[in-house]
Amino acid sequence: MGAYIIRRILQSLIVILGVIIITFLISRVLGDPVALLLPPEATPEQRAYLTKDLGLDRPLYIQLVVYVSKVLKGDFGQSFRHQEPAMKLLLDRIPASLYLSLIATLISVCIALPLGIISAIKRGTIFDRIGMTLALLGQSIPAFWAGIMLILLFAVQLGWFPPSGYGGPKHVILPAVTLALFFSAATARLTRSSVLDVLDMDYVRYARLKGVPEFVVIIRHVLRNSFITILNIVALQLGLLLGGAVITEFIFSWPGIGRLSLDAIYNRDYPVIQATVVVAASFFVVINLLVDIIYSATDPRVSRK
Amino acid sequence: MKKGVFIVLTLVMVFWVGICFGQPKGELVVCQGAEVNALDPAKHNSIPDTNFGLHVFDMLYLRDSQGVLRPHLATSHKIINDTTWEFKLRSGVKFHNGAVMTAKDVKFSIDRMIDPQTKAFFAPFYATIGEVKVVDDSTIQIITKGPDPLLLKRLGMDLLILPSDLFKEKGAETFFQHPIGSGPFKFVSWTRNDRMILDANEAYWGGPPKVKRLIIRPVPEVAARLAELQTGNADIITNIPPFLVPQMKDSPNATVQSIPGGRVMFLYINCLVEGPLKDKRVRQALNYAVDRKAIIDNILKGGGVPMAVNLTPLHFGYDPSLKPYPYDPAKAKKLLAEAGHASGLKLVFNTPSGRYILDKEVSQAIAGMFNAVGIQTDMRVHEWGTYTQMLTGKKLTDLGFIGWSLALADADGTFSPYFIPESVFSYFSTPELKEKIMKARAILDEKKRFEIYKEIQREIYEEAPLIYLYQQIDHYGVSKKVKGFQVRGDEWIFLHQVSK
Amino acid sequence: MVKPSVDVFVKADGESPIEGAPFSERKLKFKKLFRRIPKAAAFIIILLLICAIFSPWIAPHDPIEQNLADALKPPFWQKGGMTKYLLGTDNLGRDILSRIIYGARVSVIVGFAGVLFSGIFGTFLGVVAGYFGGKIDSVIMRLTDIMLSLPYILIAIAIIGAIGPSLTNIIIVLGITQWVSYTRIIRFEAMSLSKSEFIEMAVISGTRWWRILLVHILPNVLNSAVVLGTLDVGKMIIFEAALSFLGLGVKPPTASWGGMLADGRVYLTFAWWLATFPGIAISITVLGGNLLGDWLRDELDPRHQLKA
Repeated sequence: MGAYIIRRILQSLIVILGVIIITFLISRVLGDPVALLLPPEATPEQRAYLTKDLGLDRPLYIQLVVYVSKVLKGDFGQSFRHQEPAMKLLLDRIPASLYLSLIATLISVCIALPLGIISAIKRGTIFDRIGMTLALLGQSIPAFWAGIMLILLFAVQLGWFPPSGYGGPKHVILPAVTLALFFSAATARLTRSSVLDVLDMDYVRYARLKGVPEFVVIIRHVLRNSFITILNIVALQLGLLLGGAVITEFIFSWPGIGRLSLDAIYNRDYPVIQATVVVAASFFVVINLLVDIIYSATDPRVSRK
Repeated sequence: MKKGVFIVLTLVMVFWVGICFGQPKGELVVCQGAEVNALDPAKHNSIPDTNFGLHVFDMLYLRDSQGVLRPHLATSHKIINDTTWEFKLRSGVKFHNGAVMTAKDVKFSIDRMIDPQTKAFFAPFYATIGEVKVVDDSTIQIITKGPDPLLLKRLGMDLLILPSDLFKEKGAETFFQHPIGSGPFKFVSWTRNDRMILDANEAYWGGPPKVKRLIIRPVPEVAARLAELQTGNADIITNIPPFLVPQMKDSPNATVQSIPGGRVMFLYINCLVEGPLKDKRVRQALNYAVDRKAIIDNILKGGGVPMAVNLTPLHFGYDPSLKPYPYDPAKAKKLLAEAGHASGLKLVFNTPSGRYILDKEVSQAIAGMFNAVGIQTDMRVHEWGTYTQMLTGKKLTDLGFIGWSLALADADGTFSPYFIPESVFSYFSTPELKEKIMKARAILDEKKRFEIYKEIQREIYEEAPLIYLYQQIDHYGVSKKVKGFQVRGDEWIFLHQVSK
Repeated sequence: MVKPSVDVFVKADGESPIEGAPFSERKLKFKKLFRRIPKAAAFIIILLLICAIFSPWIAPHDPIEQNLADALKPPFWQKGGMTKYLLGTDNLGRDILSRIIYGARVSVIVGFAGVLFSGIFGTFLGVVAGYFGGKIDSVIMRLTDIMLSLPYILIAIAIIGAIGPSLTNIIIVLGITQWVSYTRIIRFEAMSLSKSEFIEMAVISGTRWWRILLVHILPNVLNSAVVLGTLDVGKMIIFEAALSFLGLGVKPPTASWGGMLADGRVYLTFAWWLATFPGIAISITVLGGNLLGDWLRDELDPRHQLKA
């Protein structure tokens, strides 16, 4: 068990290193940032000066080595476009992203879990059909369409919530619901599936045969056993949400990581791109690692070659 | 006793009302489409940056809403010789920390922007400034590298005057965490991608602002921005797409202010590579093939004015007597046939997406018009960063849609990048053209400059190295509660005299 | 318990089905229900294919013909609409209905080709990882971790920025970014298959590894791969929409649902029909794909098969 953990940790470190290097290379494929930083009146001398100053005139492998050695010390450099350290820009955004993701996950779980569980229990009935069709629709509605519709309905027509911006409960509801739409659909279907599997298990049938009331069967056996799967799903979603709410953040002007990384990609702001990807990746890898460890600790059937 | 109390209470009330009316009150909320890049003018390169700078800082000259440059921190200037200008500075100007503005602050601010170590993005605009000399506390001299007719405009182009003592004491990074200027508003706070808060500077030398607080927010999504205005959360919003203007005009608590802007749209032609586009007749044909009016009427819903060349009436040097190319598809076909392309042509047409108002749509409409005269187009849509890199790398093939902003409001700013071969943006030039541009750049006499620009315009009209299109009309949404707000063609938003 | 990936749900692992147990009435009703679903799914898919293949005959107008004077006309049942343009026109005066019908082509190609590329690549890696295990498995798993950590927007802009926007290149981007979901599931299946008796016998009897992979393992994981594929078709179409949103989509003036959705976004408050109809088309297609995939999975899952 211990050896497994150590091995997985080492592998995770390699993954993060891989992400660091690949992000560097991909950013370079995006092309020259200097063209975007200077006005058209800039002379070739000025462009050359800026290129040299940003360190972009050195051979690629030297840039890579310098970059990796700095990153390992936690230094992601200064944003090309703004004058702040890339890491600081990123960290400033994390509270907003975390806030939105947590609320979205909460909403998502509150809708999806009951929906999935009840659909599974009442499998094959109208409730199941409608529930799963709603879930499918939720997964296929584009986020921006939903977001804009919500703004039009709840902000402009009804005036219940502000149309955009960062703030307290009133400000976070619309973007959180937009995000939750897709994820509650996916979670509901996954929950239904895993509960169905547990329902078919021998011990559940046995409990039913024994005459245990359905309600107790559900709480004690079904939920307990699907718990880990559901936890895994939710954790993965949280990880994805943190990095992936780009469109929702754009529409609602939410100052999160997604907006920052999108702007950085558009502006070819390499340090910020690298910082956001590496940090998001690390977060994701850590979640994965924890989930793997929990699994191997609780389920001895997971193969470990 | 009761009477006394009554009198006192009345007096207090009167005073209180007087205080209320006299004080700046209320807050203005502005929603722009983009976010400020940075608070440091050295890192400024967009309109939102300039809009921030206008309120917290002062410049030597300030363009008013009609585009006229007016003395601001400088009260007068004297041209001593072709390359030496002397400026008298306003007295009694105080920075927000109480320090008095003097010549050394001006010298410091200008020196900083032209210093290569600062790596200011706008430094190319000030490249003609050689040296700044302090004559006395309220007089400075600027020595330019050559005769520079645009010096005053440069001084009014985001050259913000910083308090040198405070700056040196704190260092750049700390200073810009809480910038101190001499402008009509004081910096309170800024959360990137969320909001910037500025409070009225009641001790402002130009009189206190009429509102207590400014909140500036970036709201990139059009639907959300309009929603903010409609719900009354925002007082001023920018960049309303043309087709939504009628809807906003009908809205109960807001109106739309439209103004022809300094942005001119046109198509690049790559005249550097061998091919059919090297022939003037083909380029002219392309110009005749475009129905500018149809585009303006149908796609822009009237939000544009056809232009003869890549200048607008807001640019110095614009010649109103030159009329835009008429829509004449028959002539276009004739010219193409004369050039040997009667059977048609195939051209690659590049366009950015979402960078300019309806850029992709206008490009597609133009492509349709080219099809009608026998020119097949291979349309390529690019993300803005890729597009810019392709342009500046001189890798653009055939045609590219682009818009040019006002910058210094001078023909030189538009002609130099396009027609001087050393510029990264230039895909066409002739020695005569270059000579004329360089000459006009270095003459101080405005009349003489104008004559040269007239000649240049006729030449580029005739040569058609670009496919000229239109001047863009900008639409702003303004709440009915706002008074005294005037939209500007240069896209600046200056709220000193605006109230609610 | 199997560790599910986020976007696909997976049945349990190799718990042996209960052989010989009497099937409850519930299961029979349930089976009948499932027999019905393919009809809806089949209907949607057939409609899609008809639109894609026969577009020139069905569409009332040329999808790329511009008519600036007729721009932004509403659907025929609204004021200002005409029966000439049943679903209205877009901002360049092009007929929305025709563009949706032609758009099916792009969606069909993107959906199926995208699934094919990512599926083939992902399944191949999954089989290799599952069968060989050990170091190879670790390497491939870490590779999937890296792929999952990189934002697809970054990769999309990098690739399309480098090689230019086109339908082919979009499929390449989809192939490169979407193979991961296959690999994880297939790997697990391949692993359990590899432990089964007949594979062990094949190994003992000297069959070469590539034969084992090709003849024994691959056909058996194909079930799951196909199921995943059908479920993914919708995802591919939505990704194409996202790429169009970023300006990386199919070249204009080609009609694509994703492109129409992205372009119509600005007009949502004013001319809702530009974005809503392609959105509905996408939703229906995704629904169809998912229904088909669900049904396939249940059909192919040994536990739910009726005994003879």
